[in-house]
Amino acid sequence: MTGFLTRYGAALAGVALFCGFALASPVFLTAGNMAVVFKETAFLGILAVGFTLALVTAEIDLSVAEVASLAAVVTGALVHGGQAPWIAICAGMAVGIACGAANGLAVTVLKVPSLIATLGTAAIAKGLGFMLTQGVAFVGRWPTSFTGLARGNTAGLPNLVWWLGGVGLAAWVLVKWTRTGAHLVATGEADEAARLAGIRTLSMKRLALTLAGACAGLTAVLLASSLSSAAPGMANDHFLYAIAAVLLGMSMFEPGRPNIPGTLFAALTLKVLGNGLVLLGAEYYWQDIVLGTIILASVALSAAGTGRAPFVKKLNFRTGK
Amino acid sequence: MALLSLRGIGMRYGAVQALTGIDLDVTEGEVLALCGDNGAGKSSLVKILSGAQAPSEGSMALDGDATRFRGPQDALRRGVATIYQDLAVAPRLSIWQNVFLGSELTRPPFGLLDKRRMAEASRGYLARLAVDIAEMDTPVERLSGGQRQAVAICRALRWDARIIIMDEPTAALGVKETAQVLDLIRRLHAEGRTVILVSHAMGDVVAVAQRVVVLKGGRKVADRPVATPDGALRAEELAQLIIRGAA
Repeated sequence: MTGFLTRYGAALAGVALFCGFALASPVFLTAGNMAVVFKETAFLGILAVGFTLALVTAEIDLSVAEVASLAAVVTGALVHGGQAPWIAICAGMAVGIACGAANGLAVTVLKVPSLIATLGTAAIAKGLGFMLTQGVAFVGRWPTSFTGLARGNTAGLPNLVWWLGGVGLAAWVLVKWTRTGAHLVATGEADEAARLAGIRTLSMKRLALTLAGACAGLTAVLLASSLSSAAPGMANDHFLYAIAAVLLGMSMFEPGRPNIPGTLFAALTLKVLGNGLVLLGAEYYWQDIVLGTIILASVALSAAGTGRAPFVKKLNFRTGK
Repeated sequence: MALLSLRGIGMRYGAVQALTGIDLDVTEGEVLALCGDNGAGKSSLVKILSGAQAPSEGSMALDGDATRFRGPQDALRRGVATIYQDLAVAPRLSIWQNVFLGSELTRPPFGLLDKRRMAEASRGYLARLAVDIAEMDTPVERLSGGQRQAVAICRALRWDARIIIMDEPTAALGVKETAQVLDLIRRLHAEGRTVILVSHAMGDVVAVAQRVVVLKGGRKVADRPVATPDGALRAEELAQLIIRGAA
């Protein structure tokens, strides 16, 4: 029973929350509101999946949100300037991938701990975003071939939900069912033992950080597509949410470990919570207070469940040799 | 013919001469103990044997052919597996994940992990070592110290290693678990595998090894069988060899 609660306790709390809001607010369960919640979850979820992949190799990517903001303004600038949407999309993805690869090189070649390296990348991305835009947002009537990526439905579900499902499924299969995934996990769990077993742990770290960047790039493209605009700092609201989703996700399904289903379920829970609080008339600042509490509580919960604080090991200033 | 032989092996780290002129012949099927005090050169020699480090001088031959390991993985592929004291297993990973660490099995058509086959095979290896664990999904951190060593040995068996180097396998273990590990070594010996046991524990050495090599100050000071015409080598004699370099 204890095992069951450790595994599914946080997830059950999420379900209870959902039911509570459904009972307390007549608007909550309406199709319109649910669509809003799931779309918001999509941006957060894809960003958080990237963060999860980095954390699987015991590296922390604090740059995901700023990188997404930069990729969004690059995409937006190109669409706004009349470039073909596919060029803009590729450019946005390329920015994300390049930033992720830069993080990977900083961590594995320059031996800068990821906590610091990604903080640096975040600051650079932020600066570049303002440099490109001079602080002005790109807003316009963009071609539907671009906005259609994120808007609209396919087979009865919002496109954004398909994107999230696709990314989540791909990441889950990668981590749980492929050799590369097994090597990512081994690198994060015991990098020296993994290295001695012939696993190329530095390549694994570079791969994970690059994938985190790619997820940030995709989030950016979808954000710009959905809002038909791009502005510096536009993804920054997702930063703390993404961290909270990953940490809360670590208290579910596979306690103490970053895991994709946990991240996705936690992302949904957080968005349900935010939405519900708004519907119930809570002031906006309550969201931040609740979010911070969840970050603290979920790490404490994982620590209690597994007998140690999982994040402590991840946060120490040690990178692979 | 010796399975693995070293000639004139030397190891130098900057100004420090860690090993000097080591000649060593490892015979197929023996349990060879490698002893010495801290700083005697055991770790350096293990690193060379395991392929983690190339010697500064001297040569190695495997099955009579001159050889040079390009890394631990290269040594492993050629049948020399090393079980490192603290790094033998990834604690939070399951038994099968540890046994197949870095060499996972996949199945067609998508090349996804074949978890069932890895779990079955792990069970088989453990059975060969007469270790009884029911659940292959158990994280290794929940096993006893002796069982953990068994899991590490299973990884060597998975590579069908002919030479298994065990670095201080009983150093952190209690009496009962030490006995279990010595049992594991006897089983490997019974299977015809060659074991190089690096150990401080004199009692363990005389209990399972057929031959003892003692290092002191980076040189080989003794190389003798455990069983002699005058009876078995006693732990006290071995202690004298390690401390003074002579019995």
